[in-house]
Amino acid sequence: MATQAPVVRFAEASKRFGDTLALDRLTLEVHEGEIVGLLGPNGAGKTTTLRLLLGLIAPTGGHAEVFGIDAWQQPVRAHQQLAFIPGEFQVWPQLTGGQILDLLGTVAGGYDPAFRDELIERFAFDPAKKGRSYSKGNRQKIAVIAALMTRAPLLVMDEPSSGLDPLMEATFQDCLREAKAAGQTVFLSSHILSEVEAVCDRVAVLREGVLVEQGTLDELRHLHASTVEATYVGDPPALDGVEGVEDVRVADGVIRLQVSGSTDPLLKALAQADVPSIQVSEPTLEELFHAFYDASEDLAGSTA
Amino acid sequence: MAITGREQRRAASADASADAGHGAEVNAGTVDARSASGVVRRSPRAVWWRTYLHHLRLLRAAAVAWIAGLAGITWGVAATFDLRHGSEEELAALAEMEGIPAFEALVGRYVEPATVEGLTLSRWGWFGILAAVWGMLAGARLLRGAEEAGHVEPLRAGPIGPRGHLTTALAALYTTHLVFLVAIGVGHTAGGMDPATSWATGGAMALLTACFATASALTSQLVTSRRRAVGIVGIAMGASLGIRVLAAGSATPDWVWWATPFGWIGFLHEIDQARGRVFLAFGLLLAVLLVAAVVTADRDLHGAVLTTDDEGVGRRTARPVGGQLGLAVRLTAGPARTWGLIVAVVALTFGLMARDFAEVAAELPATVAVAEQMGIVGLDTPAGIIAWTLSLFVGLLVAVFVAGQVAAIREEEASWRIEHLLARPVGRGRWLVTRLVVVAVAAAAIAVTGGIIAWFATVMVDVPITFVDGVLAGVNLIPLAWLILGIGVALFAFVPRLAGPVTYGLVVVAFALDFVGGLLDLPEWVLELSPFRHLASVPAVDLDVPAALIMLAIGLVGAALGTLVFRRRDLQEA
Repeated sequence: MATQAPVVRFAEASKRFGDTLALDRLTLEVHEGEIVGLLGPNGAGKTTTLRLLLGLIAPTGGHAEVFGIDAWQQPVRAHQQLAFIPGEFQVWPQLTGGQILDLLGTVAGGYDPAFRDELIERFAFDPAKKGRSYSKGNRQKIAVIAALMTRAPLLVMDEPSSGLDPLMEATFQDCLREAKAAGQTVFLSSHILSEVEAVCDRVAVLREGVLVEQGTLDELRHLHASTVEATYVGDPPALDGVEGVEDVRVADGVIRLQVSGSTDPLLKALAQADVPSIQVSEPTLEELFHAFYDASEDLAGSTA
Repeated sequence: MAITGREQRRAASADASADAGHGAEVNAGTVDARSASGVVRRSPRAVWWRTYLHHLRLLRAAAVAWIAGLAGITWGVAATFDLRHGSEEELAALAEMEGIPAFEALVGRYVEPATVEGLTLSRWGWFGILAAVWGMLAGARLLRGAEEAGHVEPLRAGPIGPRGHLTTALAALYTTHLVFLVAIGVGHTAGGMDPATSWATGGAMALLTACFATASALTSQLVTSRRRAVGIVGIAMGASLGIRVLAAGSATPDWVWWATPFGWIGFLHEIDQARGRVFLAFGLLLAVLLVAAVVTADRDLHGAVLTTDDEGVGRRTARPVGGQLGLAVRLTAGPARTWGLIVAVVALTFGLMARDFAEVAAELPATVAVAEQMGIVGLDTPAGIIAWTLSLFVGLLVAVFVAGQVAAIREEEASWRIEHLLARPVGRGRWLVTRLVVVAVAAAAIAVTGGIIAWFATVMVDVPITFVDGVLAGVNLIPLAWLILGIGVALFAFVPRLAGPVTYGLVVVAFALDFVGGLLDLPEWVLELSPFRHLASVPAVDLDVPAALIMLAIGLVGAALGTLVFRRRDLQEA
C-alpha cells in the first residue's frame, strides 16, 4: 500500500492569515483505501488543512496534492476525483433537498441515482422540503448523501457527522466502512474520538497548526503507556527499576501501574511473585489525545 | 424546529419564578441583579434595553451612510441656492416649472420652486424614495434577514418574546430615523431654509422612512424570506409611486395626492397650510402598520403568518435545478421578476401619462428650452417624456437590481455555500462568469422590458412611439447596468466584504450627481463621473454609441479583472 503514489499529499504545506500561522509546514500522506482521521481541538488548523486540500485557499508555503495534482494550481482536475462533506452545510433556502442533491451530483460530474435513493432511505431523509426548513442534522444529511452518492475515489470530510443523531451516526460509520471496502479513500477531521477510533486506520494529531503525531492507532498506543492492573498474594511484586514501568500504586492486594513500550520486562518481574490475575488496558484514543496535548503543553511551557 | 413565542415566554417566566424561589433578586427596573452564585440576572427591561442596543449596533454603519448621503445632498441644494439661482431670470425660469405634470410626476407637488424651501422640498420628493428604500431594506434585514441567518435564536433563547424582539428592532430603527430628522432639521436650517420648514421636512422624512421600515417589519412576519418581504414592500412602493404619477396628471383631482405617502411630502410647503394633515396621515399609516406588525409577531421562529408552499410537502418531483447555470438562473430569476414587475409598472405609468405631460410641456417653451440645456431633450414630445423618465426611473431601478445581485454573489461566498460548488469540479472563473452572464442578461431583459412596456403604453394613449424606439430606449440602459456590474465584480474580487454596500453606494452617488449635481455647483468633470449623465435621451435622440461603448468597455475591464483576481484569492467568510 505504502509503495503506491499517495492519494493525498501535503508537502511542507503552510498557511498564514496575517500574523497568525494557522498551519505550519504540514507533511502528511494518505494512501489508497485508507481512512485517515485528523484530530485536534478548535483552532488547531483542521479546517484550514482541508481547505488547502480543496484549493479554496492558497498555501503560503509548500503545497497540497490530490492524486498527484496540485490542489491550488489545478483545483478542477483535482476535484474530479473527490467529494467533500463540510462540517456546517449551508443550503440554498429556496431549493428542496432533492434539488440540492441533484445540483451537487450534476456539478460533481455525475452520481449513482439508485445509490442516492438508497442513501435517502438509510438516512431517513425527506428530500421534498425546502432548504430553509431543514434542521442542522438534516442539512448535514444532504452533505453526506451528496458526497457518498458520487462514489468518488476520495472522500474529504470536515467533521462530517456533526449534527447527526446516534442512529444516523452509526449509519454514517457503516457507510464509511462500505466505502473503504469498495476501495475508496477517506480523509476526515473529527471531534468525535469514538468515531475516529471506530473507523480510522490512521490518525494525525494537530495542535496550533503543527502536526504533533501521526500513525496507526496501534503505533500510537505503543508510544504511550498502557494501564496494568494485577492481583497478588503475599508480598507485592518487586518492580523497582523495571524498564518502562512507572506510577506504581499498591493497595489491598492489587497493584496498578503504567507501562510504556514492551511489556516483556514487566511480565518477567510479575512472574517472580504470586500473581493470580493480570489485566492490561491499552489507552483509548481519548487518553492518547489528552496525552499528546498534555505533552505538547508541557513542552510549550518548558520552552516559554 | 419551531419555537413559539408563547412557549418561550412560559419558559422564561418559569425560569424567573425559579430564580425568585432561590433567592435571586430580580428588579422590576432596568438595574441588573447579582444572585448569590455570581450570575448577573437581567431584569426584563434590562434585557429589552440590551437587545435594543444590539440592534442599534447592527444598524449603525449603514444608517450613518444613508443619513449623511441623503441629508448632505439636500443640504447642499439649500446651501447653494443663492449661488445657483441669484438672478431674476433664473428665478423666473424656476418659477415657470411650478405645476408641470412631468416634473410633478417625478418629485411630487412642485410648489414655489423659485424659493429655497420649494426647490429643496421638491428634491426630497425624489430623495424621499431613497429614504423609503433605506427603511424597507433595513427593516427586512433586521426582522427577517437575521432570522434567516440564524442570528435570532440566541436572542430569543433569552427572556424576550417575539413581540419584545420586534419592538427592540423597531425602536432601534426609529432611533436612526430620529437622527435622520435631526440631521435634516439642523442641516437645512444651517443651509438657509426656514427653520419650521426644515424641521417639518425632517419629521416627514423620518416618518416616511419609519413607515417603510415598519411595512418591512410587517411583511417579515407574513412571509418566510427576506427577499419576499422586500418584494412585497417594493411592489407597494412602486404602486405608491404610480399613484403619485397619476396624481400629477393635469386632469386628476387633487385628492389623489393624498392616496400615496409620496404625495404627502408635497404639502409641507408653508403656503399649503397642510403640515398638520401631513403628520396626521403619516402618523395614522405608521400606527396601522405598527399595530399589524405587533399583532402578527407572535409566530413560530422561522415560520410566517401566511401559509406558503415553503415546506414543499409533496414536491418530491420538484423540477431539477440542473447544473451550475441552472442554479445561477434560479438564484437570479426571483429578484429579476420582482424588479421587472416594478419596472413594468413604472414604465406603464409614465407611458400612459406621456401624452398628457408632453401636451402641457408644449405650452411652456421656455421650460422646455431650460430642460434642454440640462440635457433633457424633447420634453414636449411623448418620445422625450419616455426618454427622460426611463433613463431616470428605469435606469436607477436596473442599477439597483444589479447592485443587489453583486451583494447576492458576495453572499454566496460569505455564507460559504460557494464551497459546495468549488469543492467539486467547478472552476472559480466559470462559476463567477456564469453568474455574471445570467445577471447581465437579466438586467438587459428588465431594461428592454421597460422600453417595450413604455411603447405599449404610448400605443394605448394614441401617441405611439415605434416598437423599435421602445426597444432602443431599453437598450440604452444596458451599458449603464453592465458598467455597474463590472465595477461591482471588481469590488467583489478586491474587497469582498465591501462589495455589496459600496456598489449600492456608487449607484446612489452616481444618480445623485446626475440629479442634483448641477444644483450643488460642482465642477463639470465631477458631474461627468456619473454614468447616468452619459445616458442619451433615447428615443428622442439616437443612441450615444461612443458613450455606450466606453461604459461597456469599463464594465468589461472591471468584470475581467474581477474574475482574474477572484480566481487567485482566498475565499473569505462573512
